[in-house]
Amino acid sequence: MVAGMRIVIIGNGVAGMEAALAVRKREPRWDITIISEESDHFFSRTALMWVFSGQMSHRDIEPLERDAYERLGFRRVRARATGIDTVNRRVSLAGDHEPIPYDRLLIASGSKPRPGPWPGSDARGVGHFVTLQDLDWYEREVHGGVSRSGGPPRPQAHSAASSGDSPYRFREVAAEHRGQRARQPAVIGGGLIGIEAVEVAVAAGLRPHFFIREEWFWPIALDQKESQWISDRISRHGVDVHLEHEVEALETDADGNVSAVRTNMGRYESDCVVIGIGVAPNTSWLSDASIELDERGGILVDEGLQTSAPDVFAAGDCASVRWFDGTRRPEQLWYTARDQGRVAGGRLLGDAPRYERGAWYNSAKLMDVEYTTAGLVNWNLEREENWFFEEKAKVCSTTRVVVQDDHVVGFNMLGRRWDHTVLIRWIEERRSLRWVLNHLNDAAFDTELVPPLRVPRA
Amino acid sequence: MDQQGQNGLLTTYREGWRNRSFVGVAISALLVAFYVVLYWEHKVQQHFGVAPLTAFSEAAGLRNRWYLYGFLYSVAMVTGAVYYLRRHGNSRYNRFRITVNVAIQVALGFSLPFIMPLFGAQELYFSYFWPLKYDYLYPQTLADLPLYFSLYTVVGSLLAAPVLAVLYGKRWYCSWVCGCGGLANTFGDPWRHLTSKSTKSWRFEQVSIHLVLFIAIATTFLVGLDWLIGKDHPAFHRIVAGDHWQDWSIKSFYGFAVGAILAGVIGTGLYPVFGPRVWCRNFCPMAAVLGWLQKVGRYRIKVKPGMCISCGNCSTYCEMGIDVRSYAQSDESFTRASCVGCGMCAHMCPRGVLKLENTWDRQEDKERQRLSVVDF
Repeated sequence: MVAGMRIVIIGNGVAGMEAALAVRKREPRWDITIISEESDHFFSRTALMWVFSGQMSHRDIEPLERDAYERLGFRRVRARATGIDTVNRRVSLAGDHEPIPYDRLLIASGSKPRPGPWPGSDARGVGHFVTLQDLDWYEREVHGGVSRSGGPPRPQAHSAASSGDSPYRFREVAAEHRGQRARQPAVIGGGLIGIEAVEVAVAAGLRPHFFIREEWFWPIALDQKESQWISDRISRHGVDVHLEHEVEALETDADGNVSAVRTNMGRYESDCVVIGIGVAPNTSWLSDASIELDERGGILVDEGLQTSAPDVFAAGDCASVRWFDGTRRPEQLWYTARDQGRVAGGRLLGDAPRYERGAWYNSAKLMDVEYTTAGLVNWNLEREENWFFEEKAKVCSTTRVVVQDDHVVGFNMLGRRWDHTVLIRWIEERRSLRWVLNHLNDAAFDTELVPPLRVPRA
Repeated sequence: MDQQGQNGLLTTYREGWRNRSFVGVAISALLVAFYVVLYWEHKVQQHFGVAPLTAFSEAAGLRNRWYLYGFLYSVAMVTGAVYYLRRHGNSRYNRFRITVNVAIQVALGFSLPFIMPLFGAQELYFSYFWPLKYDYLYPQTLADLPLYFSLYTVVGSLLAAPVLAVLYGKRWYCSWVCGCGGLANTFGDPWRHLTSKSTKSWRFEQVSIHLVLFIAIATTFLVGLDWLIGKDHPAFHRIVAGDHWQDWSIKSFYGFAVGAILAGVIGTGLYPVFGPRVWCRNFCPMAAVLGWLQKVGRYRIKVKPGMCISCGNCSTYCEMGIDVRSYAQSDESFTRASCVGCGMCAHMCPRGVLKLENTWDRQEDKERQRLSVVDF
């Protein structure tokens, strides 16, 4: 083992930080440098919506204490990485920063929001809800300012270098130009970020437009019945859900502030638009490096998260990994980024751990409704059958079990809490639907005193 | 209505009075002033010639200011319970915990001392035990109290409370029964996010709570010794117990420092500054004992592996300053001595990762680790 190995990590999100922690745990003396354009501290991107509403402070969404860098001996570089010289082993940075030499490098630069393809997508008052800078923008549009206490100071000096297509640049605030807070926000895109942007606007007392291109909300995860069940609840909170709306343009007023969303179904006045149509790997800054990307910009990695360049690894949202179904694409999930970060940490140490993705599972909270999924749901398998039950009692929930050839292959659950590890075990054990329904409450993870789910016999 | 999970978003940090704004600090100052007058009204009277709380109590037809305090305490709890249940009352566990706690406090803590004298009995609090009610095991107290209450106190403090803590965790007391905990979880709830989560505060808590426990046990022991031999050793008697409750002695010092300053003035007065569980977390000797028993007992917070998104809602709303997130994101089910089992971490979790439970089974955590993809 080389003494005094120089480790450089691009990105201080969960993948980068997990890797840094894994290295530091075993090598107290190695030189670890973490480059971040977005923030001084590792924070949980999944929690931006709660900072917006005031449920949490900026400090609350940081998993480590503020002195973590100093205590763990991580060198912090606040800059935008602009390229990698894989021959001379250096990372170049924007502004007047010197290039940083590395012995082993981890790219964990994450995702960036996909820009709107419509005319007017760059207008003032149009933004995303993915980065800390997006949060800042959206708070200023809707609340007229950021929530009290615990906020890291705005990195103004730094943001000068974050221009152009950087997802971390500060946007101009239409509300400040208009002299009036946003009253009619619109959210485009029926995915998880979309519904978060909608929920926080509702919590701020507004009644947002919610434009969804598809026939029903979140078709990738829900079937029509489940989606209808959710949409009813979303509408009850005062959201105008517009299904099957193709956005055509964002209109602006004479001052350049956004004024309306035009879709194939009509024109909707709006003074603040959040585009939530997905994220893409944040890798455009790598285009001139000799690191192989897939056609959608994900960094191609092998089972050990090694890229095409020697001693360069990639983890998290920016890495195109092999899925359980054999395809290669990025996994844009918090816990997979965490797991990949740990594997990458092992690689930076010189070990040979492999990243192996197990069965698919996930969870979400759609406004008030909790959602758990495990296994193969909405895959339209051959000979698949769906067993569906809607509970209309003290607890409202839906349960869907996907069955193929007399054994269960997937679960989609709304309104109750489930232990996905038990559900996955049943799938692996190829349990029958009848057996599963008889044992369903063994997988319940509801809080105490919640009455158990009673399902009809199969 | 859903029976679990946070409904809608909270606006905690957008409300100044809950975040140490001028109003928040002013509320704290008022509470501190109230407790100072309550405990040392005789000094106030010496200096200013008025005893405001006593005067008010008499005008209201109450026997003394402690009845007024009991009344205000109950009003604060009921009001706080309404505030809390409007936000978090969709959850059955929250409804159970708050309802039982308020009922016990209002029925026993407040009404009984009114009712008992009607039947010729003394004012007794069935809801408190040694070492929280530090004088309940003093021999003199036991001798003076009716026999049934002395038995109740001894059995309750030394047998029932510990056994229940092993079976259900300290929450059976700290979150379902106790008056201090009840006030914290109702009237104090708006400030629950202010409890410090720093490792420094954890270290402080570990030292301070055991120090107070040591002092409580030592004081009880010395007062017991004084009861046996005090008559023959007047110097010892003077130091330990004194002849009058206003004299300085170890016994009166404990009442002053722990009972009045730590539990009252700091413990409740500083809710809006340091969060509602300052006393319970850092000083309560009963919490220290129950915490040990909790560690060896059945209670734990179960973590569903691999599902945590590290958002931190659990840690933010932990009134005991436990960094729940650090356990959740490393997939570790856990029991912390300080946890009072209020259940708010599980309630706030947007991914249903946490669950409070009573079980002897610690085995399944290990086999579940197979879901982890890391194999160093």
